[in-house]
Amino acid sequence: MSLVVRNALIALLVTIVLAGTVAYAISYLNRARITELSAIEDQLSIDILSLDTQFSLLEAAPCDSTASSTTLTSELANMGTRLSYAENQLGSDNTQVVRLKEQYSLLEIRDYLITKQLAAACGARPTTVLYFYSNAGDCADCDKAGYALSYLRDTFPSLRVYSFDYNLDLGALETFIAVTKVKRDLPAFVINGKPYYGFTSLADLEKQFPKGALATSTSKL
Amino acid sequence: MCYDNAIMSPEVLAYPFLFIAIFFESFVLVTLLSKPAREARARTASVTLPSVAVIVPCYNEETTVARTCESLLALHYPSDKLEVILVDDGSTDATAGAIARFAAHPQVRIISKENGGKHTALNAGIAATRADIVGCLDADSFVEPDALREIIPCFADVQVAAVTAAMSVHEPGNVLQHMQNAEYLFGITLRHAIASVNGLYVTPGPFSFYRRAIVEELGGFRYGHQTEDMEMALRIQRAGYGIENAPHARVYTKAPGTILKLLKQRTRWTTGFLRNVLGEYRGLIANRRHGVLGVLILPSALIAIGSGMLLFFLMLFMLVRNVATALSIRAGIPFSYAYLPSGSLDWFYLPVSFYLLLGVITLLASLSLIVAGKRISKAPGNIALGLVSYTFLYSLIVPFWLLTATADVALGARRRWR
Repeated sequence: MSLVVRNALIALLVTIVLAGTVAYAISYLNRARITELSAIEDQLSIDILSLDTQFSLLEAAPCDSTASSTTLTSELANMGTRLSYAENQLGSDNTQVVRLKEQYSLLEIRDYLITKQLAAACGARPTTVLYFYSNAGDCADCDKAGYALSYLRDTFPSLRVYSFDYNLDLGALETFIAVTKVKRDLPAFVINGKPYYGFTSLADLEKQFPKGALATSTSKL
Repeated sequence: MCYDNAIMSPEVLAYPFLFIAIFFESFVLVTLLSKPAREARARTASVTLPSVAVIVPCYNEETTVARTCESLLALHYPSDKLEVILVDDGSTDATAGAIARFAAHPQVRIISKENGGKHTALNAGIAATRADIVGCLDADSFVEPDALREIIPCFADVQVAAVTAAMSVHEPGNVLQHMQNAEYLFGITLRHAIASVNGLYVTPGPFSFYRRAIVEELGGFRYGHQTEDMEMALRIQRAGYGIENAPHARVYTKAPGTILKLLKQRTRWTTGFLRNVLGEYRGLIANRRHGVLGVLILPSALIAIGSGMLLFFLMLFMLVRNVATALSIRAGIPFSYAYLPSGSLDWFYLPVSFYLLLGVITLLASLSLIVAGKRISKAPGNIALGLVSYTFLYSLIVPFWLLTATADVALGARRRWR
């Protein structure tokens, strides 16, 4: 074997090892992301179940637990942002991503229901937004709408935003969509029970909120 | 939560080229550590000293030629065996006056002729000497006193027809020149490694030497599409001779100080390469008879030109697409939220991708080859600014001369030397 051939083979081996290491590192990072998401989701699941149970055990609404409910909603939002990033990295058809999205959607529905129950029992009027999107390529404005909602949620902590992938194959979500009577005209919003379709600008979206809902001070819930 | 959706990424197109780039850099590193390169580095200065003539072709070099000549006369070489031939190729400035002061020097010979191009100046110098070894030094370059004694031992093998030196930039001043210095240091490593397996296809103007008999046998220098040094090297390789490199023979050359001058110079080099290699010397490409030059070096150089342009367009496309998407999504959102950084660093959002990491590996390998070039040649000066400018500037400038050169070759356009 000539020196050149030997060197070329060694160089090829080095290149394959380097490319393989890069592929492994990225795969490792993505697995770590999924693991972290699972861990956060598990914790959230326990917290929501705990709140739910606490609520059920007491005859009168445990209005003291509203603070922890607000914290949970904030953590749910953080989880949503991470899940969205993971979805971009791994693809929306990734089975682990889909599974996490299903769990996340269930947690959101559960949190939404608890929020409604607490609001009714404690006499509060939280502003809730149900946001339905699609990333199947049939919703040109969903990216803009999602970003605008992220801005509103981060700017007005009292706002409770729940995002749902309209196409997710999940029985509870399908029932939720049927109950809220949201049409497949995406992006779709249900702001305090009132439906609103399409997205043109942040200013137009803000007009759909009840007066005083977009205030910087936090509400009771 | 669906903003920034993933779509089929065009990055995939870059993978093969990045893979080839890493393979090539690995090959250079492995070859650098192989026995022939190690032996070349360990070569000691020559005891037997043949007669040598160094030809300095000058065309409007009034500001630098005197210093070039002085650096040649300061070479540690027996004065009875070294002659300097200054060839004024019809300069229209004060070059004639600048070289006239050396007329009385016993080692210097001055030839004045009508302008005919660098190759004619070199041939005039060769015709005027009987020295065994003839060299060329561009009139804007300067040599270390021991450079010639580092060159000569490379001619020990009778099959060696030419020897190249270790070039770096003379007193880099601005960022652009520091960037070129880093590139030249990269070239030192590359030339040294590739020469050890006889894969060189250019014998640069600054201080390359030739066995006179072989140059005459091959018919002397030709126009070579404004790259007579490349054309001669390719002719030498095609004839079956070897081209060596002396990594400790330091020579410094003036580098263009503006982007326009740099683009002009590199466009000339690249068009010269394309016209020579795809023209008269296309028979060398993928020709196993010409070893590593035919099978690896020339194909890699051609791929590098293509991939340089492709990666640039890809980068540009992704940048424009991402910026346009980001602006579109953020339209109407307050500036402080949309564009100012907020929150803390979180590993979860680390934007690593296969493309990015392969790019980083390619860059790191390039930087290590630059550092290796400095260590091998012991070139003076600090390379910190060179490494930084090479990292951030080089890949942004290269595509322009690749595009211009490729367009010139495709359209048959010709440009003036200066």
